Amino acid sequence: MSTKPVPHAKAGAEFLQEKAHLQFHDERLWDIRQKRDHQMHILPEWQELRQKASEIKEHTLANLPEYLEQFERNAKANGIHVHWARDGQEHNRIVGEILSEHKAKSLIKSKSMITDECEMREYLEPRGVTVTETDLGERIQQLDDQLPSHVVLPAVQKLTGDVAALFAKYYHTDPNDHDPHSLAEAQRQAARPVILGADAGMTGGNFLVAETGTFVVCTNEGNADLSANVSGLHIATLGIERLVPRMSDLGVFIRLLSRSALGSPITQYTTHFRKPKKGGEMHIILVDNGRSDRLAMEQFWSSLKCIRCGACMNTCPVYRRSGGQSYGAVYSGPIGAIIDPTFNKEKYSTLPFASTLNGSCSNVCPVKINIHEQLFEWRRVLAEENEIPFVKKEIMKMAGKLLSSPRMYRAAISSTNIALKTMPRFVLYNAFNQWGKHRELPHPVSETFNHWYRKNRLKQSGQTSQQTGAGGQS
Amino acid sequence: MKIGLFIPCYMDAFYPKTAIATLELLEKLGQTVEYPLDQTCCGQPMVNSGCNRDAKETEELFVKNFAEYDVIVAPSGSCVHNIRDNFDALEQTPAVKHVRENIYELVEFIYDVLKVREFPWAEFPHKVGIHNSCATLRSLRTASMSELGEPFFSKPKTLLSAVKGISFAQPQRPDECCGFGGTYSVTEEAISAKMGLDKVMDHSTAGAEYIVSADTSCMMHQQGCAERNHVPIKFIHIAEILNGARA
Amino acid sequence: MATHEPSARDVILGKLREKRVPRPTDYPLPGIVTLGDMDRSVKRFEDALQLLGGDIWAPQSGETLEDAVRRKFPDAGSICSATDEFKGTLKITDLKTLQEADKVDVMVVRSPFGIAEMGSIFLSEVELHDHLADVHLAQHLIVLLSRTALTANMHTAYQERQEFKTAGYGVLMSGPSATADIQGVLIRGAQGVRSLTVIWTD
Repeated sequence: MSTKPVPHAKAGAEFLQEKAHLQFHDERLWDIRQKRDHQMHILPEWQELRQKASEIKEHTLANLPEYLEQFERNAKANGIHVHWARDGQEHNRIVGEILSEHKAKSLIKSKSMITDECEMREYLEPRGVTVTETDLGERIQQLDDQLPSHVVLPAVQKLTGDVAALFAKYYHTDPNDHDPHSLAEAQRQAARPVILGADAGMTGGNFLVAETGTFVVCTNEGNADLSANVSGLHIATLGIERLVPRMSDLGVFIRLLSRSALGSPITQYTTHFRKPKKGGEMHIILVDNGRSDRLAMEQFWSSLKCIRCGACMNTCPVYRRSGGQSYGAVYSGPIGAIIDPTFNKEKYSTLPFASTLNGSCSNVCPVKINIHEQLFEWRRVLAEENEIPFVKKEIMKMAGKLLSSPRMYRAAISSTNIALKTMPRFVLYNAFNQWGKHRELPHPVSETFNHWYRKNRLKQSGQTSQQTGAGGQS
Repeated sequence: MKIGLFIPCYMDAFYPKTAIATLELLEKLGQTVEYPLDQTCCGQPMVNSGCNRDAKETEELFVKNFAEYDVIVAPSGSCVHNIRDNFDALEQTPAVKHVRENIYELVEFIYDVLKVREFPWAEFPHKVGIHNSCATLRSLRTASMSELGEPFFSKPKTLLSAVKGISFAQPQRPDECCGFGGTYSVTEEAISAKMGLDKVMDHSTAGAEYIVSADTSCMMHQQGCAERNHVPIKFIHIAEILNGARA
Repeated sequence: MATHEPSARDVILGKLREKRVPRPTDYPLPGIVTLGDMDRSVKRFEDALQLLGGDIWAPQSGETLEDAVRRKFPDAGSICSATDEFKGTLKITDLKTLQEADKVDVMVVRSPFGIAEMGSIFLSEVELHDHLADVHLAQHLIVLLSRTALTANMHTAYQERQEFKTAGYGVLMSGPSATADIQGVLIRGAQGVRSLTVIWTD
């Protein structure tokens, strides 16, 4: 695995150059944020729902091993095979074994972030299994060999022209037909035979219910219901944090999920799987892959409350402008920036800095994760563990020295103002001046406030000139 | 009540007019104000970069400068947020706690502590767009946050509404961050500048002649973006309007 | 004595029990939540369903259910019924292969209940006679529903309806299959049914 830090700033700057994509991306996600706001406004109980959702998730995480055992017990009693995977590799091996036992060569699947997390397609395809994504957005990303850009809108960074070009290449459609209706129809027509001929189906899942051994899958396309049911073999992969204790708890989460994600009241399909279908076989893989470690992190465990709605991405002003691909990770946006470093601190060390710490993400989070505070905490952890660039660390050390010395500080301010006044523009706006690449510098002034105050106020007041001696000349 | 005035570093260096207006306004409101001369910065650049330990001495200097005052007032929401919520590189002595608990952002101080609502000397015959920094909005809570759907309130707008002749422009995305974010403005300069320009354009399109804010740092960034892109909009700190600036 | 490598299950559960950073005593389970509008009217259901792209269809006076469905889909070749109260061109239990199901134009089902808040209807293996995929392979779906079988919202649904605890497969459908994955344009009929129509039967 590459451990070079993800160049978020650079990749984001590249996305900014794609003017049409950028404008659509920002406006589309902002529109969804407004639709989410509308749903919040029509439900007076919205904040109470968020509070309850948070409390239920906190309780579940605090009692996770017990609820997992309860879930396993009930699922097994219902005839489901329950597997446990410590990491992605183990997960993939389990999937591979189940498929090979059934001599299954063609796997259709609905969207699941965790199989991307485990890099499952990369494992199965060389072993002779054809994996086909059935979610439209996820399929587009698969054809383009890209990670999902967004947890619920995998291809939101693309325009119709991009999709038309991809479909022309793979489905032999007319590259000049940019009508989303005909493109979506082309996908339906291309997917149907693959679905009908599939040997096995795979889904992710949004919730596990301990009380009944049920897992719940929410989609808009209905592709999970097809993937799960067309063949006799259904494999579902879920993270161990997806649990809720009781069936009735789903009421809280289903009411929040799609409203937060897309501003629609509910997903078109909300499917509860509790038993294998008649004559069929059902497997659940419960995946850890770093979650148990995260649960032991005092500052970061509550990120496991996440229900993957993507509301934090939609509201994030940085995400809307840098695009999901710029995060170089399975999970992008604010939630990605706080969970990706738990997978690889070095590789994702830049992501907690890909934020202005504005806090909008925490406010829209339906399970009240303090995302922006965790971004802030991660910066401390990464700096302490030397996972920030050496130059930046040195600059901060120097800044700390400068700002704790009034004398050095006054001298620096005065030389800055002199520089702004006297340096030619080409010297000021040089390659090292990150500020000045897309912005003007502030205007120089003839005297600092400190200087003005000494001149105009010190004499009148009883306050005495203190020890700096720098005199505030500027 | 003895007030210590904290003027953040960039304001001291580049926006002395705003600092003078803050001092004069507090005096007009009958307050005794002192500006400790050895002040520098609140340490936010180090704190927000994760380099908390490098902020320790700067925080100590801050406490040394301000511990003797009953109240500390700063015309900068982000600095007040940093001191109140994140000032923990140093041992939490009674002096440190005193400083953290008694620091106010200017609008908060006028609105909540002095409870002043009238500024008879103030007149600003212009259409303004209010920029609430993310620190004032989501940490200091001086205005309602759109994400929570809470009933509308805005302490800065309430104060500004008392100013003769003023009118307000309504941007499309009033709570959107302008992209300054302290060191973010240089670590991700391109995205930061795009956010700044979008913010400026939102106000400009809504008909604002001025962007007014309680945070000069955001405006320094926005002004840089506006000037580079020739957007004809002006910037003014709320202290200057409340102190009676006409333009 | 043979040593056994601990299973993944035991390793994961062991790790989860090791530190217990969120402590169980600090996070009690909240009581069962019942919030929001308790209106379970037909009007609320219909408004919600239409918002999600579903239709309401009513037989005209003197018209049978079969006539009403035929009027809605005059060009349909095959109309498949999963319920004894509706006589289609074939029965769901007649479908032997997925390929046969794929050719169905209209599927007619009876749903045991709907949720007024969402305009959702419930289907399980009971109503589908274990033909779980077939309902999603059909092009269009007609749902027969009783006005008295509505529950108010998601809270009441999960608390009152035992089907959630008894069904092996239970789907809440809220309008037809949909996607907006291509440049945000809403399209009905992504992978599943292209339309979903509710007919009140009382």
